[in-house]
Amino acid sequence: MSAFEPVLTANIHKDNSHTLKVYEAGGGYRALRKAVKTMAPKEVVDMVRASNLRGRGGAGFPTGLKWTFLPEGHPGPIYLCVNADESEPGTFVNRIQMEFDPHQVLEGTILSAFATRAAAAYIYIRYEYPQCHKRMQQAIDEAYEAGYLGKSVLGSDFRLDVTIHRGAAAYVCGEETGLIESIEGKRAWPRIKPPFPAVEGLFRKPTVVNNVETLANVVHIVDRGVDWFKSIGVPADPNNPRDPGSYGPKLFGVSGHVNRPGCYELPLGVSARELIDEHAGGVWKDRKAKAVIPGGLSTGVMTEPELDTAMDFSALQSVGCLGLGTGCMMVVDETYPMIELLHNSCRFFSHESCGQCTPCREGTHWAVEIIERIKAGRGRLKDLDLLMEISQSMGIIPGTTICGLADGAAWPIKTTIVKFRDELEELIKQTNPVGYAVTDPVDALEDEAHRNWPVLGTTRPYAASTAN
Amino acid sequence: MSTVIIDEHEIEIPEGKRLNVIEAAQLAGIEIPRYCWHPGLSVAGSCRMCLVEVGTRDAKTGQINMMPKLVPACNTPATDGTVIVTQSEKVQRARAMVEERLLVRHPIDCPICDKAGECLLQDYHFQYGEKERRADLRPFTSRRRDIGDVTLFVDRCVMCSRCVRFAREISGTSELMVINRGSHEEIDVVPGYPLSNKLSGNVVDLCPVGALGDKDFLYQQRVWFLARRPGICTGCATGCSIWIDENQDRIYRLKPRENLHVNKWWICNDGRYGYPHVHDPRRLAGPKRREGGRAVDVDWSALPGELTEKLRGAGRLAAVVSPHLTVEEAYLLCKLMRELDPKAVLALGPVPTVGQHETFPGGFTISAEKCPNRRGVEEILKHFTNGVTGFEQFLGQLEEGEIRCAWVSGGYRNDWIDEDTAAKFHRLDLLVVQDLFPSPLSERATYELPAAAFAERDGSYVNRGDRLQSAPWAIRPPAGVRVEGSLLWELLDLEGLYDARAVLDEMSLEMAYFQAAADDLPEVGIDLKVNLLAGAGSGAESA
Amino acid sequence: MSTTQERILTDAVREKIRGLLPRYPTKQAVTLPALHAVHDALGYVPQEAVVEVAELLELHPAQVQDTLSFYGFFEQEKPLGRHRLWVCRSLSCAAREGEKLLAYLCEKLGIRPGQTTEDGRIRLEFAECLGACDFAPAILADDTLHGNMTKEKIDELIDSLE
Repeated sequence: MSAFEPVLTANIHKDNSHTLKVYEAGGGYRALRKAVKTMAPKEVVDMVRASNLRGRGGAGFPTGLKWTFLPEGHPGPIYLCVNADESEPGTFVNRIQMEFDPHQVLEGTILSAFATRAAAAYIYIRYEYPQCHKRMQQAIDEAYEAGYLGKSVLGSDFRLDVTIHRGAAAYVCGEETGLIESIEGKRAWPRIKPPFPAVEGLFRKPTVVNNVETLANVVHIVDRGVDWFKSIGVPADPNNPRDPGSYGPKLFGVSGHVNRPGCYELPLGVSARELIDEHAGGVWKDRKAKAVIPGGLSTGVMTEPELDTAMDFSALQSVGCLGLGTGCMMVVDETYPMIELLHNSCRFFSHESCGQCTPCREGTHWAVEIIERIKAGRGRLKDLDLLMEISQSMGIIPGTTICGLADGAAWPIKTTIVKFRDELEELIKQTNPVGYAVTDPVDALEDEAHRNWPVLGTTRPYAASTAN
Repeated sequence: MSTVIIDEHEIEIPEGKRLNVIEAAQLAGIEIPRYCWHPGLSVAGSCRMCLVEVGTRDAKTGQINMMPKLVPACNTPATDGTVIVTQSEKVQRARAMVEERLLVRHPIDCPICDKAGECLLQDYHFQYGEKERRADLRPFTSRRRDIGDVTLFVDRCVMCSRCVRFAREISGTSELMVINRGSHEEIDVVPGYPLSNKLSGNVVDLCPVGALGDKDFLYQQRVWFLARRPGICTGCATGCSIWIDENQDRIYRLKPRENLHVNKWWICNDGRYGYPHVHDPRRLAGPKRREGGRAVDVDWSALPGELTEKLRGAGRLAAVVSPHLTVEEAYLLCKLMRELDPKAVLALGPVPTVGQHETFPGGFTISAEKCPNRRGVEEILKHFTNGVTGFEQFLGQLEEGEIRCAWVSGGYRNDWIDEDTAAKFHRLDLLVVQDLFPSPLSERATYELPAAAFAERDGSYVNRGDRLQSAPWAIRPPAGVRVEGSLLWELLDLEGLYDARAVLDEMSLEMAYFQAAADDLPEVGIDLKVNLLAGAGSGAESA
Repeated sequence: MSTTQERILTDAVREKIRGLLPRYPTKQAVTLPALHAVHDALGYVPQEAVVEVAELLELHPAQVQDTLSFYGFFEQEKPLGRHRLWVCRSLSCAAREGEKLLAYLCEKLGIRPGQTTEDGRIRLEFAECLGACDFAPAILADDTLHGNMTKEKIDELIDSLE
């Protein structure tokens, strides 16, 4: 493999990298021009298919394959939704892309809309990225003016309108059908599948939902070709015809207890250890890593010996993680108590659970209840078994929930308890010497008591409902 | 024909029928537990109680391939070759898991909750749940919230969202909503926009637990003391099928009975709460005779003989046949009158009409006609008189003075006749009024006969769509009341006890319109018109 | 329902909402953008505004209220403070003292998350991952992301907000 040359972050250090002028000067919109003027939409789809580009938002589903699920000859309109809701804890790379290279994201959007014959694209940007809103809107305005958007893109009969849709602080809007429901103006309750969005999505029309980073890759696939893309990353396993491989560049985020938190563009397949030690400056304060979450909180934890695992779509499962996820890593050092990681994670998922299906709504709440009781010095050894069971009962993998938020909630619990059981048992025994062996149910924490946690309760108080 | 394998059964699904796994299982006599799925509402798939294992059976090789993960039965189509497993350990553990999750935060309200005894959470707990509680103990009872027509016990809610979907899809009024997110979700209404529509009572039926409570029924009776009898609502010409829940001859509530041809699963509030009049103390309590302005109690045993004698010698007879009578009672009344006087005038009683027919987005219709049997009575009148004399027309005939004696049947729930109209009956020598409540007319009656309420009588009604439905009596009438059919049966000198079925049999032979009623009637009734047209009409008119 | 006198949404806000309609094939899809428009203009979305938005979008008020309450984002009781501070509590920020900084802020301002200071200057919130993990611990103050926060930098930030 030749020395890797970043493409996704090639522009971000330039002055005014977010402007059309700078983008075009660097070769921007060349790919779009090539596609609109010399290719048919299906050819673009074929290229993306052949490249085995996999979704960068967390699920890793082959993008080109997803595009082929759109029904042939449908009267339309077909919609493209850009998932810029990036709310997976630890993940910040889309933010960097939209802030510093919005045109690349936009070009990827327009290209993909061209390929899928979408009539309109909605870019769902989370509320917490105000600078991204500004920059993306600016880019869109510039694009309309320059003829890259509107009734006639680059003078062709391909027309596209792009609208930014602002989120309102809900993680579940990152789930593709939750995002669709949110755009439609309803509560972001993910939909039961089937039907899948490609058949019946936004406004019940065929819809494709793609992540920001995924779409940016489309630009480079069209610009530099499939062979170039496949020269980067990890090839498909020759013994497994179903393995699409892990091709292409990836934006890896590293944060937490490291010396140089940041975004690092590298080929898929780099090891976790290399990412931390060679790119992120190593664990801070001369300490060692205790637990590393490879790709956003949902993926669960790895231990220090497991850090040699490759960061790609298939290797991480072998160490018990959910998968590559967003490829954004969080590192905690040897002094960090795992109960805090567990609490932080369970609190997050309970707060963000949309609440429609029973195992997730109740399971995430119950997990927080148990953990807070453990932290209050009234934990039991049995609680760890209970937490394991709760985590194993929810998710789309067993089939018990509507969406994958529950799997994301389950994985940190599962992996932490399996890999750090001794530490957790020790904590329980030490903080509850009298009652740790009890197996009967115990009294719940009084609401007041557990609201006395330093500052934070489990959830934000909601708007008052009508009086009794 | 599609073949579906469910547990050890193989069942056939008829061509053209699109069933989900829950419905297919029902064909095999298997009930898959669920909270959120309902045949009348859109599919939510959120409670996860209906999880089953499915697979496919290869048509050629017979090999069965099961899917590795559980699927919700409510959203899985049952097509040819589908294999469904409902009793495996995996499915049992999933059901126990969902039950356990719902009980973690559920208030300890059974002793004070109306739903006890007909609560799905209870039922499934006993059928599928774990024996012991593992969650932390925090006993509490539910907060209560007034949301309009019904009351809400907020914390009992299991978030099945049936009530919200009902308000959006069936009543079309959208008052109900889910607020907040995750485990903080609650059902609520916007202040100032309470749940208030004519179908609102249905959400209480839909609620699988005791979260939604009927304000009328709340704390009135434990459901295990209630006997459930089939009935038909007599509030309007839609004729919803109902259940009458009674205890010792006292009605505590009415509930809709499933009838895909009439009301599906619903009933309007007027119908649902249309029973208090049955136990109204103002009801006529016993037969009376008026002589010289004084009302004297008459003995029921003496009455038939006395009446027959008086009617025979009375001159021109007339009967006002109320659209509240069953077809059997109407037929017997007309037959009796014509036997006594072959030229007896037979007229239709007043048909109370309020506004227009009201159809809701889900298809449910409240009829403008507030009586159950105008269609049926009309057809009977046509049979006896070759036409239908309306009430106004009848009043005109009264003026002419030829009629000497009238038998007026009432049975209306509210005031149906005023002083001025009652005065028009002044010329009669003999007036028999058979009614529920005292009225200006009953005060003039020579014979005042207490009528029985709808729930106290056997019989059939024909609704606005020409559907005949039958129901037996559900409660006994008060002591001094004798049901209409029984009295008429005796006056006609028929043997034995009143037998409504025998009357209907006779009607089906005598009248083409009622031909289809000759055989055993299905619980959902029978469409007389369809069968009439199918049987090559013999001159009888269809509506 | 609402007369011109009692209307809480100004003509400008109504125009803004109407201006969004052509971008979506259904009126309901304008719900979230409309709520943002109202929230930006008024600092909260009171009951009356919910009703007026529902009227504009031909929805039942319950259909707007339920969407609104799903997102813990919208304030309904009274206007937010002049500045809204979101302090991230997710793992990377928490692991780099984020929770201690939130505790410090609460003590300094004398309020808990979800509350506004007496003088109406600052509304404090905790946030789930702000996506600023590369400069944890982070605070989103109105439209600006502040990273690598310390007690000193918090003091500076608070002083700079009027």
